[in-house]
Amino acid sequence: MSKTILVVDDAASIRQVVGIALKGAGYNVIEAVDGKDGLSKLNGEKVHLIISDVNMPNMDGITFVRELKQLPAYKFTPVIMLTTESQEAKKQEGQLAGAKAWVVKPFQPQQMLAAVSKLVMP
Amino acid sequence: MSFDEEMKNALKTFTLESLELLQDMEEHLLNLEDDEAPAERINAIFRAAHTIKGSSGVFGLTHIVAFTHVVESVLDELRGGRIGVGSELVAALLPCCDHITLLVRNVVDGRTEEDAALTAEGKQLLDELNAFTQAAPADKAVTEFKCPREQLQKLENDSVKDGNWHLSLRFGADSFRDGMDPLSFVSYLRTLGDIVQLVTICQALPPADEMDPETCYLGFEIELKSSAGKAEIEGVFEFVRESSIIRILPYGSGIGEFIELIDELPENLSYLGEILVAAGAITRHELDDALHHQQNKMQTAREQGNAEAEAAVPALGEILVKYQAVSEPVLNAALEKQKQVKEKKNQEAQSIRVDAERLDKLIDLIGELVIAGAGVNLRSRLFADEGLKEMTGETMRLIEEVRDGALQLRMVPIGTTFSRFQRVVRDVSKELGKGIDLIVTGGDTEVDKSVVEKIGDPLMHLVRNAMDHGIETADVRLACGKPARGSLTLKAYHSSGSIVIEVSDDGGGLNRERILAKAVERGLIQAHDVLSDHEVYALIFEPGFSTAQTVSNLSGRGVGMDVVKRNVTALRGNIEVDSRLGAGTTMRIHLPLTLAIIDGFLVGVGKATFVIPLDRVIECVALPEDAGEREYMDLRGEVLPLVWLSQVFDVESHQQRRHNVVVVEHAGNKAGFVVDRLQGEFQTVIKPLGKLFTYIKGVAGSTILGDGKVALIVDVPTLFEFCERANRHAEHALPAPSHAS
Repeated sequence: MSKTILVVDDAASIRQVVGIALKGAGYNVIEAVDGKDGLSKLNGEKVHLIISDVNMPNMDGITFVRELKQLPAYKFTPVIMLTTESQEAKKQEGQLAGAKAWVVKPFQPQQMLAAVSKLVMP
Repeated sequence: MSFDEEMKNALKTFTLESLELLQDMEEHLLNLEDDEAPAERINAIFRAAHTIKGSSGVFGLTHIVAFTHVVESVLDELRGGRIGVGSELVAALLPCCDHITLLVRNVVDGRTEEDAALTAEGKQLLDELNAFTQAAPADKAVTEFKCPREQLQKLENDSVKDGNWHLSLRFGADSFRDGMDPLSFVSYLRTLGDIVQLVTICQALPPADEMDPETCYLGFEIELKSSAGKAEIEGVFEFVRESSIIRILPYGSGIGEFIELIDELPENLSYLGEILVAAGAITRHELDDALHHQQNKMQTAREQGNAEAEAAVPALGEILVKYQAVSEPVLNAALEKQKQVKEKKNQEAQSIRVDAERLDKLIDLIGELVIAGAGVNLRSRLFADEGLKEMTGETMRLIEEVRDGALQLRMVPIGTTFSRFQRVVRDVSKELGKGIDLIVTGGDTEVDKSVVEKIGDPLMHLVRNAMDHGIETADVRLACGKPARGSLTLKAYHSSGSIVIEVSDDGGGLNRERILAKAVERGLIQAHDVLSDHEVYALIFEPGFSTAQTVSNLSGRGVGMDVVKRNVTALRGNIEVDSRLGAGTTMRIHLPLTLAIIDGFLVGVGKATFVIPLDRVIECVALPEDAGEREYMDLRGEVLPLVWLSQVFDVESHQQRRHNVVVVEHAGNKAGFVVDRLQGEFQTVIKPLGKLFTYIKGVAGSTILGDGKVALIVDVPTLFEFCERANRHAEHALPAPSHAS
């Protein structure tokens, strides 16, 4: 059974690119537009990995991860943060919140796939 | 020497070194049980095994590597306190030690190949040894997880055959909680190459009832066959790098490969870390971590003010080896490379050494050229030939450039002179029991070599003096609200064509009253004389003058300051003192940039011509007609003392309608030199006066003019002294030049 990944980003293009890469590699992909949407999309569903942007409307990535880690079902779910080169502080904040992995934007689909497969094999 | 011979030599070194290490190892093993604090001994034993393993790998002695590796692993357990010291363990280790000795002796005898009988023997020994490591933690651990030491050993044997990577992974306790599944990392490793062997290390597992299912206790020893570089492999564990222990080491031929790589590196890297990173032997992360570690240690030692601990901070290489980022042979190869690069750099330095005498000769010749050029220039004016004038003008310009270029050749930074004082300040402050810091600024200021050579001694006097008399003891300083440590500043900078060297301290400053009292006592001044601060401070340069209340062996015998002044004056410089009581003293030495050729200002008095150094000249004004033969004039509301050069040098002045005044500055004071004619700038080649005239005051040297006549160079500081003294004693005429010094 293929693994499921939740992609949370307000930019549709990013969701699309990531989606193509992940689906191509054999993962299931759920998309969400921000942290709030992400939480509601999860709704007890089994996911193996979550990819989240930091800056998003309604609920930002850091808050999203913090809330996520409160939920017993997702306590151990690995999270990849999407940060930019200049967001070293955000990266650390994300790690504190519980997102221990990260991918630096801008990234090639291939880089994203590499990071994902380090954490979850398809 | 051919490569083979060199390798043979190296092999000899290896065997000698190994046998020595083995001897040490045996001795330590024998004393291990009796030692109350065996940690140091265990470390020594471990290090010996580690070194032997590492260096035998370089020579492709894989059977020694394989055997020693197991011994080393057991010793590592011992070192980590996971198994205890006991007579049984020692009894098992001693034969192993003998076995390695045997293997090495075989190498000495030229048998570098594996001997099946010996290997079987070794296997038996290792089995005995493995019993210890298995017994210790596995007793309590969950039983289905066997700690497969044998497998590990097998893994070693297999791995060394090819240039595989050995990965030691110990995942952090929070790995599961962070969503990091060790298994997925291991699976991902497969995308880089083949996992030849994988051994799960579960010694960290607690007894079942203490075990927390959310905590990760796992470690892996992985043999990876991959063409990927170290950085790439490390990249796999990027997300767990901070919380886990990740060691990636090449085995067998891999070590040799690194050494080759290091040898082949371009020779533009001078840092050890950079060399290792460039060869791929360590990753940048490992380098950063090691440097960080080193820095932390250094800082801790510094904060504690512990000089010994500071000196004992391990070198970068040691740290890298300790954390198994790199093996010792690779490190040694890198160190060797670093040495080579350094040597090469020294050879390639962008400078050439030239005999100082040749330079002096060149400067002399250029001096002559300047004089001859001035002569040509003068002659050319006699002809109404525009072309000639133009050409001589061009020639003069070129001569000037050549002159500047040649003088530049002798310029050296004063920093080398300054750096000598670091040691002096350290030693003397220790001797005096005062804490004094030396601050050096402007070390790259350039000055003529001849000046640098001669300024060392006067500076030494000033520095010692400042430390001895200037800076107070710590308790006095604290009482005055100053920091306990005094500071001494050496500073150099260029200022209007001369170099200024300052020696300043933040000590007690000069005591004006005490200097005055002493000066009166010595008969240097009259009790009723009124002196400016500068004049008072200048008194300390009088021969035999010292206000120090105690005489120490550093300074205070009254010799020194007058010598300083004499030395500085001999360099055509002058020294001035700024001081504030309680705040410190600054000695400021002004020196000409060069001693050979200067820009001069030509003036005429009667039939004679004089040169005033241009860097002293501020302006020229006409002497008011009603001035008569006065000793001062009004310069825009300022009183300007006048020095009549005709009187000083006893030259008959032309009966002129007006005289000119050249306003000259010295040590913050101004004076006007009264002359007949102003003749403009002139490149002045300084010619020393003959021995006979050494003691003539007021003349610093002579020069030859374009028309062949001799002009005297006015010694500005001496004339100022005359001027001051004349004022003080209300004397009109100066004493005639005499031989008295």
